[in-house]
Amino acid sequence: MASTSIEIGAEIPSVTKSVTTASILQFESCAIIDRENIHNNEELAKERLGTTYTLASGRMSIAFASESMRKFFGSDVFHHTGSVNLKFLRPVKNGDTVTVTGKVTSQRQVDQGTEIVVELECHNQKQDRTAAGIGTAIV
Amino acid sequence: MAEQPLKILDYDKLEIGEELGSYEYVLTQEMLDNYRQSIDDPDAAFPTLAVKHDGTALNMVYNDTTGGVNAGNEVEFFNPPAPGKKIFVKGRIADKYLRRDKPYLVIEATAVDEDGNLLERLKTYQMKKPDEVGKKWHPQA
Repeated sequence: MASTSIEIGAEIPSVTKSVTTASILQFESCAIIDRENIHNNEELAKERLGTTYTLASGRMSIAFASESMRKFFGSDVFHHTGSVNLKFLRPVKNGDTVTVTGKVTSQRQVDQGTEIVVELECHNQKQDRTAAGIGTAIV
Repeated sequence: MAEQPLKILDYDKLEIGEELGSYEYVLTQEMLDNYRQSIDDPDAAFPTLAVKHDGTALNMVYNDTTGGVNAGNEVEFFNPPAPGKKIFVKGRIADKYLRRDKPYLVIEATAVDEDGNLLERLKTYQMKKPDEVGKKWHPQA
């Protein structure tokens, strides 16, 4: 578990994930409603977005960022006080490799302890930024 | 949740604070394993992310023929869900607004388990002109 002496600028462990059609579809299969969408139906993605491919759900990047955060703070902390807030900037699709990085940018006292703020970024294999935002946890 | 006819989603008629679907389901070990495999993380604890609580709540009430692009997500974690336990979900429309002439819809869902433990709060920012995003990604198209 992280201590309260986390330094500003500290880097969280990066996580790199290969995204495939299989992983996109498997993620979609976790839904409790069987529904066609731009993640599992190429025709629908073409009709709505003009793409020739399905897109990975942005929630996959949330999951990847959550793994980075958990590895830094520990599950005892992150699973009970953590948050991730990402804006999605570019599509992630089959064949992409997404890498999450982050560094601590600030901390402040809150009722439950010290809230640590981490600036998060996701890049693809071309070094294009696919998502950006912040994560937090209270230590 | 009782089956009710879906309403056609009309962005202009949506009201901030409007309740969406409420529902319950049992999280199984198979669901957790499937989720972990999909993101290649054997220690992932919130398969609820892939269940898409907020989108499910929206789709239980509305037939969204326009679709949308997920512009962002905010998730807060409070307690990991345990396989074998029921999860109760409530959804609502948290916000809607225009930015750069594009309509955004913010949906939110809160999940609690059968013991009353708060599990997760998830918000999704949907941009409701998906073809605009497609043009941005493929300017020549």
